[in-house]
Amino acid sequence: MIGIVLVSHSEALANAAMELALQMVHGTQPPIRIAAGAAGGFGTDATAIASAIDDLATTDGVLVITDLGSAILSASLALEIRASTHQVVISDGPFVEATTAAVVGAAAGSSLADITAEASNALSAKTPQTVTAPHASVGNDTAPGSPAASAEERLINPMGLHARPASLLVQTAGEFSADVELTNTTAGRGPVNASSVIGLLSLAASRNDRIRIDASGPDASQAVNAVKQLVLQGFGELS
Amino acid sequence: MPETLTIDAIQQWLNRFASEITTQADWLTELDSAIGDADHGTNMVRGTAAVVAKLDDGSTSTVQELLKAVGMTLVSTVGGASGSLYGTFFLEMGRNSPSSVQLDASELEKALRAGVNGVIARGHAAVGDKTMIDALEPAVTVLSRSLADGRQLHGSIAAAAAAATTGRDSTEPLVARKGRASYLGERSAGHIDPGAASATILVAALAASVGEGIAR
Repeated sequence: MIGIVLVSHSEALANAAMELALQMVHGTQPPIRIAAGAAGGFGTDATAIASAIDDLATTDGVLVITDLGSAILSASLALEIRASTHQVVISDGPFVEATTAAVVGAAAGSSLADITAEASNALSAKTPQTVTAPHASVGNDTAPGSPAASAEERLINPMGLHARPASLLVQTAGEFSADVELTNTTAGRGPVNASSVIGLLSLAASRNDRIRIDASGPDASQAVNAVKQLVLQGFGELS
Repeated sequence: MPETLTIDAIQQWLNRFASEITTQADWLTELDSAIGDADHGTNMVRGTAAVVAKLDDGSTSTVQELLKAVGMTLVSTVGGASGSLYGTFFLEMGRNSPSSVQLDASELEKALRAGVNGVIARGHAAVGDKTMIDALEPAVTVLSRSLADGRQLHGSIAAAAAAATTGRDSTEPLVARKGRASYLGERSAGHIDPGAASATILVAALAASVGEGIAR
């Protein structure tokens, strides 16, 4: 699993961002370390960041997520002075959104490259009209002739496809090898890849919007069915 | 016989830097309160005091070790961008210094240039961005030119310190383009950059120590 280091000028900010993101994880939590504050006050400390990275040396790689500018500066110095040699990437994503995307992605077992892209694109959830959703065209890579399946359902849960159901959907789709894409046919948004919580949020899908599920790959019909069941059950949010 | 800067003179430089920072701490903080978070003086006092303590423990025996130890100490005690940038400066100086007990003029020039380049690479800042680079870059440029012209180390470092001061003062009308001051936009103009101010103290302290510490 990928590890995450949160670098913030404020320990309270980092802890809150971590808690907020972990609300979306329903199984094993990814390893997260916080390197926040400096010399007892606000700031960032490259040696503390290096220790946090070293502490995650047994993970499959680490994404470092930073808040204000000098956090990036301290993180890049930390890469030079750390003792470990595993792969580490400093994210350019916005702190809270990137943390959410990375935590959900890591929990779903995504690769460091995918999580890095997710975190980097995390701001797109706030600009759904202009978004080129991450991984939107991944499905085109599927070999010709591989099985495909589709379904279209109406969202029935009151809050629509908000963060919690989106993260549930990512985890469900992640259990299959098929490539799963969702489109909000009511609003004409998408398709976006179901591996991306940020992409799913960019669909801005509300209650009663119709959602098309497309999958391609060996277990396409099972994947479509699993996602469809989630939608039909209102993501467990029906009282 | 080439002029050389002994390890004792380098230690003297850093002690002088620390005491000058302490003397001017309130001014640095005042500058930082205008365009930043009002802690530059306090942070630099804490960091340079830790450097003095580190040097006093006598655990470093070569110029390279000493400068690297100074860098790591600043990184872990100053905090924030200043800690990483000053830390990078000394780490890069150390990396580009010989494992000996002194630096000759060209070795000092090479180490200082590497330190400044390290800061530029770390912070992606250029001259005119209203940062410590506005003081450091002209200082090192003048040092190189002066040495190339055949002037002695002492006079060359003094010229470098004067260039740093001019560079520092040039930051006053500038609009910050790096660091947290950049969020202020136009409101950052009209104030000297605190990083350029502390960097000027660093170069001035070197000039003073070179004057006293050259072995001939």
